[in-house]
Amino acid sequence: MKKQVAAFLLMTATLGSVGGLARADQQMTPAEHRRLFLKGAELWPVYCNQCHNARPPSEKAPVEWNAIIMHMRTLGNIPPDDAQALLEYLKSGH
Amino acid sequence: MRTIRFLVITGMIMSLAIFTEASRVLAQDLGASDAATLKEIQREMREMRAERKRDRELIQKLEAKVDGLEKGSAKTQATTEQLKTTDEKLQATTAALQQTTAQVKTLQAKVDQPIPAPDFSEAFNRYLGSHTFEITGAAAGNFIYDQQSGALNDLHHASQNSFFFDWEPMILYRPADWILFEGVFDAGFGSTGTGMDLSIADFQLFLNKYMTLVAGLYDQPFGDWYENQSPMWVNRFITAPLPFGNEAIVPPSELGLQLRGGMQWGTLGQDFDYTVWGGNGPNFSEAVPGAALSGPTSAASAQSNGKSIGARLRIYPLPLEWEMGRLELGASTYNGKWMNGNWFNSWGVDFNYFKDNLQARGEWIESYRQMPNGVPTDHREGWYVQAGYFLNDVNAPFVPRQVNDYIHRLEPLIRYSGVNQHAVATDDIVAATGVGLGGTQIGLVPDFGINGSPALYAPHSREVALGLDYWIAPSIVWQNEFDIELPHAGGVFVSSTGAQTPAGAIPNDRAFLSQFTIGF
Ligand code: HEC
Repeated sequence: MKKQVAAFLLMTATLGSVGGLARADQQMTPAEHRRLFLKGAELWPVYCNQCHNARPPSEKAPVEWNAIIMHMRTLGNIPPDDAQALLEYLKSGH
Repeated sequence: MRTIRFLVITGMIMSLAIFTEASRVLAQDLGASDAATLKEIQREMREMRAERKRDRELIQKLEAKVDGLEKGSAKTQATTEQLKTTDEKLQATTAALQQTTAQVKTLQAKVDQPIPAPDFSEAFNRYLGSHTFEITGAAAGNFIYDQQSGALNDLHHASQNSFFFDWEPMILYRPADWILFEGVFDAGFGSTGTGMDLSIADFQLFLNKYMTLVAGLYDQPFGDWYENQSPMWVNRFITAPLPFGNEAIVPPSELGLQLRGGMQWGTLGQDFDYTVWGGNGPNFSEAVPGAALSGPTSAASAQSNGKSIGARLRIYPLPLEWEMGRLELGASTYNGKWMNGNWFNSWGVDFNYFKDNLQARGEWIESYRQMPNGVPTDHREGWYVQAGYFLNDVNAPFVPRQVNDYIHRLEPLIRYSGVNQHAVATDDIVAATGVGLGGTQIGLVPDFGINGSPALYAPHSREVALGLDYWIAPSIVWQNEFDIELPHAGGVFVSSTGAQTPAGAIPNDRAFLSQFTIGF
């Protein structure tokens, strides 16, 4: 039983350490949001035009961008900090 | 400066006055009595005057110098001031420019929103709370006219034209911020009637900042084509470049695991990324040279050969601040035993450059397949280069504005691609041959993404493709393509028993394709 609890705790800790994009979201100040937005706006025309025409923020709802940016992060192996900035920019356009 | 000059001059005038007065008084006092003394004094005075003159000249010179210096410094000051204003102006212009760019972008974003977020998925999202269930994908309808000018290996040939339709719905499901499921179906009405295929189904687990695990059925992450350029609305052309068409050089997909990630190595924009993967391995239609590569198989018997391993590295050398666009340079390899101890090895390099209205990309691939029974290695090479230029900023003179608005949406394109191989398996060609009503062979048939020309099956195929895309929105496009088949002579056709016949005459076909494509 103790082992199972330990295993469960270990698993939770491991899963807790995985790198999602939205997690950092919650603890950000408005200034940090602004900084991310500006970086995203700078990256968008370059990074999102690389494989196909850049899809504008207004095309999708913020909740949709959450999934799509994960998909694009996989395809483009976009560095996570850049992906987060792009997400901030994309979500602000709706 | 001015004060100093004033003091110097005043001082001089005063000393001059004092001196003159003094000499006058002296002369009076002495009278003419002592002429010698007077002479002496006069001489001294002359000397003094001369000295004064020299002094005055020197002072004038100094004054001139001071003046010059003052002027110079004024000039410097003026220049500095000018510089400042220019700088301010520059800053203002930059700000204005930035504002305009932002405005243009917002406008563009506004103009380019053709499809509102699907209501269904929004409703679903509400139902799922923070989970995302997203339906995207692409659909396209096209018309293909292929002018088959000659036979290939005595196969029947006939010019043909046909309509096709294809729909590739994609589902993205995001149950947590580190898990994504992606599933893509391919449903089309093609040359063999309606058909449906599972083309992608995988989990993407974001383990940490630099590692994403992908598990399932996925596009081959080799080079750029299959993974990043093959979706219909992404591909600038309607057809695939030759090395990714019917005579593929590496398998189009794989069933297995990938580990991938990317990071910034220099300043913003200078990235590096890796993808390593393993899976069920390469699969060929036959054990003869030139046999077609197919998708992965799950048949256990086909997996007894061992698994495949692949790796791809890409580097993006241009810093964002240079504003020189985005350049990607990549190298890939994919290897595995395809039958018993026989290996399939491949490697490739690719590039992709994008700046403003220009985009260019290209790939070079080579593959080696060890053959059983002492048959020489099946060696293939393939390549393509393509470029396109958006006429966004081109304004034709003397035409109405509306016409220019149409021109701005055009993107002319050119692509050159080719494949070199010693042999092509005839069974693969026959498999691509359609049978018309009444049981007559109608020759090689076009299908979605393939113009159907027999020349595509030449061992040394070459193609020049000219394209003209009319972009309605970033993912809605009316594409037009003109293919010129220019295969080189040489090579052989191989039957399933291994019998070889020289390829003989190779047709130079032409094809025209037109397609309306929507990416959701
Ligand atoms: C490495 C290449 C690549 C980069 C970089 C990239 N995309 Fe994509 N994107 C694709 C491909 C390939 C597809 C089509 C996926 C499919 O149909 O299988 C796609 C599809 C999409 C879609 C349709 C929905 C979906 O998830 O398939 C949207 C929206 C999109 N991209 C937006 C973006 C944005 C925004 C960016 C910038 C952050 C971006 N893309 C960067 C390759 C890329």
